[in-house]
Amino acid sequence: MDIMDDIDQISSLHRVVKANEDIKKVIRISSGVNLVALNAMLIAKRSGERSRGFAVVSSELRLFSRNLDIAMTGLGELIFSLVRDAATMQRQRQQRSHFMTVMSRNKSMRKWVEPTLARVEARMGSVEEEISRDWHKLRLQLNRVLQLCESGRSLSRSAKIEAVYGGDMSATLKQVANQIEGTVDEIFSTLKLLRMQLAE
Amino acid sequence: MKKLEFIYEDGAHKWAVVARDPEKPNHLIDTNEYLVLNGSEALLADPGGMEIFSAVFSAISAEIDPYTIRHLFASHQDPDVISSLALWLDFNPDLKCHLSWLWGSFVPHFGGTAETFVAIPDEGATISLGGLMLDAVPAHYLHSSGNFNLYDRKARILFSGDVGAALLPPEESGLYVENFDRHIRHARDFHRRWMGSNKAKLSWCERVSRLDIDMLCPQHGAIYRGEDVKRFINWFADLDVGSGIRD
Ligand SMILES: [Fe+2]
Ligand SMILES: [Fe+2]
Repeated sequence: MDIMDDIDQISSLHRVVKANEDIKKVIRISSGVNLVALNAMLIAKRSGERSRGFAVVSSELRLFSRNLDIAMTGLGELIFSLVRDAATMQRQRQQRSHFMTVMSRNKSMRKWVEPTLARVEARMGSVEEEISRDWHKLRLQLNRVLQLCESGRSLSRSAKIEAVYGGDMSATLKQVANQIEGTVDEIFSTLKLLRMQLAE
Repeated sequence: MKKLEFIYEDGAHKWAVVARDPEKPNHLIDTNEYLVLNGSEALLADPGGMEIFSAVFSAISAEIDPYTIRHLFASHQDPDVISSLALWLDFNPDLKCHLSWLWGSFVPHFGGTAETFVAIPDEGATISLGGLMLDAVPAHYLHSSGNFNLYDRKARILFSGDVGAALLPPEESGLYVENFDRHIRHARDFHRRWMGSNKAKLSWCERVSRLDIDMLCPQHGAIYRGEDVKRFINWFADLDVGSGIRD
């Protein structure tokens, strides 16, 4: 039973670490969005009146990337407290197992050890609650981020349409719009994968 | 299974040792834990590592009510001395741990709160165990830079921590030193490598030879009795320490 607990615990810490890697990846990509959007704004400015629509879309994209950054920081904070709680839980389980060993050595130890075990288990219970609260918050936050990403996707579609009206800059704008689409799609699919893993 | 053995008894005043764990995995150094009892209060000197907690706890609780343990004494900061702290505190959160001030902010990494620790100043201190006075005797740099022995002048016992330690082969692992010359071969390399300062060593020898000691009890190895106590102090005084690295 204790071995199963350990496996549980290790996989939960493993899950947290895995989720954290995905979040770091998204943060990396989203700082890319910021640069691409900035680049797009500059190009639009250079090509003047005809690409005003493109300029509007690009500045919206910069805003999107900033909001994404804030949302991802929120996810990172939740991950941080999950790591802390998973580590606490692991320590409590180890301590519990030492006292279980005392009991298994000699049944007469029960009277000394039971109050301690009760204390340790109560602590484990409250950490467990904290952990499931945090996972819940993590899922909610992730849904919010995915919604945000939907708006990012429609922005990238608008960028493609606006690029068509770019006159002699059209080819360059199209290239930028594709770049934006690629980056937003990558964020979206990483987050979707993360949500699927968290739902398991 | 580790067992509690009484090595001194005078009414309600007793010393016991938990030693020789046949179930202990080989990669852990064997340790002796000493329990000083005075009526309804007890002190555990060098409670030991986390991995052997269940063995030590079971051995003690098989003989006495473990709630009588009110004090832990940590000669220094090593994991084989005090890494079981969190477990002892799980059992009894009110335990006090006496420890060199030097390690006061390090050992809490093993567990405990600000209320747990009683800092021993460099010059030493007296710990009252239900009226029995136990002296924390300075043994700095032997081997730890903040290090204490524990002396019971009534029982004439000195708990010497790592000083006097020996790494004994199984066939020579009696609880007491029976043949000093044979025994000390297993102490030599340990002291040459672990004890860092000849100056600190001589000052300890001088301090300790002024005490009446019937038994010198190290954290590893066997207990020195009677004449072997003086023999050990003289042997140690002559040994060139801090020189265990072959160059
Ligand atoms: Fe040590
Ligand atoms: Fe030691």
